[in-house]
Formats: sequence, structure tokens, C-alpha cells
Amino acid sequence: MRIRTVVALTGALTLSLVSGCAQGGAAGSGAGSVTYWLWDANQLPAYQACAQGFERENPGLDVKITQMGWADYWTKLTASFIAGTQPDVFTDHIQKFGQFADLDVLEPLDDLGIDDSAYQAGLGANWIGQDGHRYGAPKDWDTVALFYNKKLTEAAGLTADRLNSLSWNPKGGGTFEKAIAHLTVDRDGRRGDEPGFDKNHVKVYGLATGGAGDSDGQTTWSPFTASAGWNYTDKARWGDSYAYDSKTFQSVIDWYFGLAKKGYLAPYTDYTDGANPANAQVASGRAATAFDGAWMISTYYGTKGLDVGTAVTPTGPSGKRATMMNGLADSVTKNARNKEGAKKWVKYLASDECQKTVGGYGIVFPATPDGTAAAVAAYRKKGIDVSAFTEPVTDKRHARTFSFPVTDYAADVYALMRPAMQDVFANGAPVSGLTKTNDQINFILGQ
Amino acid sequence: MAAVTAPPTRTSPVSVRPLRRRPSVGRVAAWVVMAAIVLVTLLPFYWILRTALSSNTALAAHPGDPLPVDFTTGGFERALGLQSTKEAIAQGGAAGGLKFWRYLINSVVVSTLITVCQIFCSAMAAYAFARLRWRGRDKVFGLFLAGLMVPTIFTLLPNFVLIKQLGLIDNLLGIALPTMFMTPFAVFFLRQFFMNVPREVEEAALLDGAGKVRIFFRVMLPMASTPILTLGVLTYITSWNDYFWPLMVSYSDSSRVLTVALAIFRAQTPQTGYDWSGLMAATLIAALPMLLLFGVFARRIVSTISFTGVK
Repeated sequence: MRIRTVVALTGALTLSLVSGCAQGGAAGSGAGSVTYWLWDANQLPAYQACAQGFERENPGLDVKITQMGWADYWTKLTASFIAGTQPDVFTDHIQKFGQFADLDVLEPLDDLGIDDSAYQAGLGANWIGQDGHRYGAPKDWDTVALFYNKKLTEAAGLTADRLNSLSWNPKGGGTFEKAIAHLTVDRDGRRGDEPGFDKNHVKVYGLATGGAGDSDGQTTWSPFTASAGWNYTDKARWGDSYAYDSKTFQSVIDWYFGLAKKGYLAPYTDYTDGANPANAQVASGRAATAFDGAWMISTYYGTKGLDVGTAVTPTGPSGKRATMMNGLADSVTKNARNKEGAKKWVKYLASDECQKTVGGYGIVFPATPDGTAAAVAAYRKKGIDVSAFTEPVTDKRHARTFSFPVTDYAADVYALMRPAMQDVFANGAPVSGLTKTNDQINFILGQ
Repeated sequence: MAAVTAPPTRTSPVSVRPLRRRPSVGRVAAWVVMAAIVLVTLLPFYWILRTALSSNTALAAHPGDPLPVDFTTGGFERALGLQSTKEAIAQGGAAGGLKFWRYLINSVVVSTLITVCQIFCSAMAAYAFARLRWRGRDKVFGLFLAGLMVPTIFTLLPNFVLIKQLGLIDNLLGIALPTMFMTPFAVFFLRQFFMNVPREVEEAALLDGAGKVRIFFRVMLPMASTPILTLGVLTYITSWNDYFWPLMVSYSDSSRVLTVALAIFRAQTPQTGYDWSGLMAATLIAALPMLLLFGVFARRIVSTISFTGVK
């Protein structure tokens, strides 16, 4: 009897699961719904608010938002294109755009009438593929600035004005190197620019490490390479060759990682993605300053016991300061189940109305000027001054913004440059070795 | 030794009490080493608890503090979905939240389904391989065992295509199906046991007029209850911990199991700093059912493994 019961129960359970759960369909999309994927959980409430506005304007259409973490997001998205379970619309990143364009999985958005001039400069054009079609509608942007621990900078006698007017050069390091040397303190309390400083026993580093920077150096070396006048590739986008073999690039990298040898920049071993990123080094008092992105504003300012300020990146040999300006976009998938609804939703996401709503949450800078203004106001309301991030975008005379390199084979470039840069930073390999890596990269690009 | 040399002159209560043996140096050293191993083993669990009870916004400022930093139960509240989005963000957590109970039920359903079905089917197969005589039996078994050598990653894609064609993507049954019927290990494990059951038992049942089916259900299965229990616990833990396959198949909350949910929860705020306290709290709660299961059955599992091993 007992066995029969077990068998019967198993059968019933299986049957109920087959009949009960099988109704769902792959990604849960129906005729009147649009599926939308994004990776940043902190933006979820803002986009849910946008979706409500969209649904009001488009009765009969509803938006189903799925949020997944950054790492799983891309694995799953790529798998979903192959399996045919892709969402109708997804948040796209410029680094991944080339690969998706290559896979031919994106729907052209030319008929949406996206006007590049309605967005912050440079954000719209990045999403035009090599075939001349548009594949993404501008969504939001971020820049990089210098976060600093106010307690430590004040103790070192560095005012906010001074931190905002630093300059550097690859030969002597300029006032920037002087500042971080002065912020560095060894275990005996001697500063980095004082005689007898012990670079092997540093208590507080002047600058936190964000790792070796891989192929883009977004929050590590890129403010320096770009303000020295260097560009990743031969063309603004879809370039044919990379320039990691350039003398300018290599001299800047040599100087930048040389800061670690002098004891001013935290060593490579201090950096752990996740467990000990730059913000944790600043929070724990291990480092006085850190280059980090606008997406980290709330984290730095929200850290208990940390009084933080922000400054623009230092002026380089080109006479300008530089910061990477990275813009995200929304893309429609080629095999979207509800293509019409998907395009309507993307158009709404790119509209001033939705971007102002998102800006109001004070988490990202939306791509339209009004959306950006709403975000700045929301930050101000929280008592946070974000001008170090917005000024480089508006002040073209003193600052230069640049984008992630947009090329084919971005994943291969990353795979080659990551260990090469780590070798330079962690093992002290000569920067001239990057020439060989660059040759390999350009060989792949020439295929 | 000490007891022998003690002078038995007085009959006071003190001398009646058995004297304690003086611990030898080796014994003390063994105890010290054991205590150290236990400490090292338990330390990660303590660190999980300490982090879970810390405030996420203060953790980075005191990374090495042995006690919870800025004590709060916010991590547990976030893990159990008791916090509003606003509170969660203010405490350095993610807005996405964790529908803990939903994922827990999904995990229980998937693990139970896999365990019950797999053990039942594997037991039948093991019985056939061990006690029934049929042509080519050993060859088939050899082929079957070869299945043990095939890495799971090779079967991933065909399995995915099949599940998709069955329309079971984003479905709990889709997650369970590939391992639901049997695994070579389970069949092998139970076959070893059935082979060692004395033939006389089966013959006695045959003489009593029982058929093969009846013998299987009434004689063999009850006799195998201990190895089945062991296998059940092991299978349950394995399917509970499985990550990659559920990640591939599940697309929404309706089919998300705990392991996948925890990984997604962890990855929610990678750029803005992980919600370590929420994640550690959730991990602790998620591990609890397995710890309980193991705690209850640990002794039986160990004895079964040694039993089958000696035989």
C-alpha cells in the first residue's frame, strides 16, 4: 500500500507540474505585452514608473520587466538569441554592441525618428552600425571623476579648489602626482613627499587601485591616456586598428603604474573585484582618493562614516582634462514577438517624458538634457554636488569626453588586453610588450 | 598508570574517587589539532553570520572587524522580502529584492521531484541489472556505466534543445527533467547493494508465489531502505545546489530556484558594490534546510556508505 501511495503521489505530482506549469510559454510574452530586460536593479523602480506611463498612453500594451545581474545578463542574452527565448527589448552596452551587430540579432530602429541632437553630444551616433542603420535609442550616460575622503584631504591641506585644478604629465607627474604623494602616509606617519618615506609599508595610499584596466581603463588609466591626446582606434567608431602600440599610450601607462612602484597608487594585490573595489579601499581608509564612475555616486555618499567629495579629472599634456562618457541604449531584438509594441516602448524610453521620470530618481544621468537636469536636481536634493561629472560634458573648452572603443571583436580585444595589462601592473612587465599584443589585436581585426 | 601508583592507604571519599588519567602529550596535541580544524571549518560560517548581521553601508569601512559592523538585522529582512524598495536601497541593498519564499518552494518542488523519481526509476533499473537475467545485460550495463564518463557540459546543449522543443523552458519540470529519471551513479550505487542481497531471500519469495514485480516492491525495496535513504539525501542536496542548468532554463520568478535567485541577487549591484549583508543572510537561510537534512540523516549516511563499502 505504501509503495502504491508513493507511485500515485509521484504520478500526480508529475502530471500537475506538466499541466500546471507548462502554460507559461518561453519568456512569458503575449500579443499585448512587451518583454524588457535590464541589469541594474537600482534602476528597476524608475523603469517600472516609466512602464506605468507607457501603459497609460498605450492601452492594451503592458511591459514585463525582467532584471538580471550584469554577469548573468549577457550570458543569458546570448543564449536566448540562440534558443529563441530573447526579450523584445533589452538594455544594450556599447562594448557588446559590436558583437550583437555581428550576430545580426538587432532590429534597425531607423523608422523611430531618433534625433541625435535631442540627446547629449555623442550619445546617439555610437549606435549606428557599420551598415549605416541605427540599432539603439539613447538611454543614459556616465562619466568618471575623482572621489576623495574629505577627512584625509583636509588633513593634507588640500582644498576642494586645489583638487579641482590639478594637472599632470608623464614626465614629472605634475601637481596631480604631488597631491597623491602628499596624501600617501606610511606606517610611521611620513607622507609620500617627505624624506624617509617608506614605500614598502604604506598605511594610506594616495590613490586607490581599480585593477589593471583591461582594454579600456575606464576608471583607471583612461583619464590620463585621453588627456595626453591618445585615442583607442584610428577612427571614432568602427576603427580598423587599435593604437596600444603608440609611444604616447605606453609612456602614460608606464608613468601611471609607476605610481604604484613609488608607493602612491595601491598595488594590484589590493584590488579585488567585488570584495575590495576602489570604493571599499576609500571607505576602509586604505586609500584617500579613487577614480570612479557616476554610477557609484550613491554608494560613496551612502557609506556610513565616510565624508566624501568629488573633483574633476586632472588636466593633461593636451591642455584639457578627459573623462570617458559612456552611454547606454535600448535595442529591439530582430525576432521580437511583439515588434510593433517593442518599438513603441523604445520610443517611449527615449522620450523626454520617460527620461525625466528616470532622472527624478537620482540614480543615473538620462540622455536628454532635460532628463540630465532632473537627475542633477534629484542629487542636489540629496545634498550631493555632481558637477564633477556633468561639467566635462558641457565645458568643451577645458574638457574632452570620449567613448568606449566601438569595433568588431571587442570580446577578443578584451581577452588579449586584460592579461597583458595585468602583466604590466602586477608583474612589472615592460610596456613595450603591449606592441606585440596590439599587433595580435590588429591581426584579428584585419580578418 | 597514575591510578596504579596512587597509595591506597586512606579510605577517605577523596581516595575512592577514580583518579583522572593524566593526558599524554600526544593526546593533547591531537585535541589541539582537532580544535584548530574545527575552528577553521566553522570560521567561514561565523563570518557569514557576522556579515549578515552587519550594515551594508558600514561594512567596507571596517572590513576586518571580527564582530558585526553597525549591528542590524536588515540583511535578513531584505533576504526574506520584508523590506520596502526604499529601505533596501537606503541600506545599500538592491531594489530588485528577493522573493525568498517563492524561490524556496521552487527549490523544494524541483529537488523533491528529482529525488523521488530518480530513486524510484534507478532502483528499478538497478534491480534489473543486478537480479534479472536477460541477453546482453552486462554489455548494456557497461555502456550505461560509460555514461558516467560523459561530462555534463556535453549533454547541456542537446538537453536544452530538447527541453525547448517540449515547450518546457521557464518551467519547473524543464529544470527537473534531465536528471529526473536516473543517473548512472544512482543505478550503479543501488546495483551494488542489490547484488549483495542473498539469493535465498528472493527464492523464498518465489516459492511463496511472488512474481518479480512483487519481489521488487515487497522484498527488495524495503531491504534497500537504508541505501535508498542515503542516495535520496545525496540526490536532494545535489539537485538543491545545482546552478547552471536551472540558470539556463529559468527565465522568470515562476521557475527561479534558490541558487539562481541568490546569484542574481548577488549580481544585482556589481557596479555599485555588492549587498554583502543581504547576500550572506540569504545564503544562510538557503543553506539551513540542507544543514537540517544532513544533521538528521548524517549518521545513517555514514553507516550506509561504510556498509556498502565493506561489502
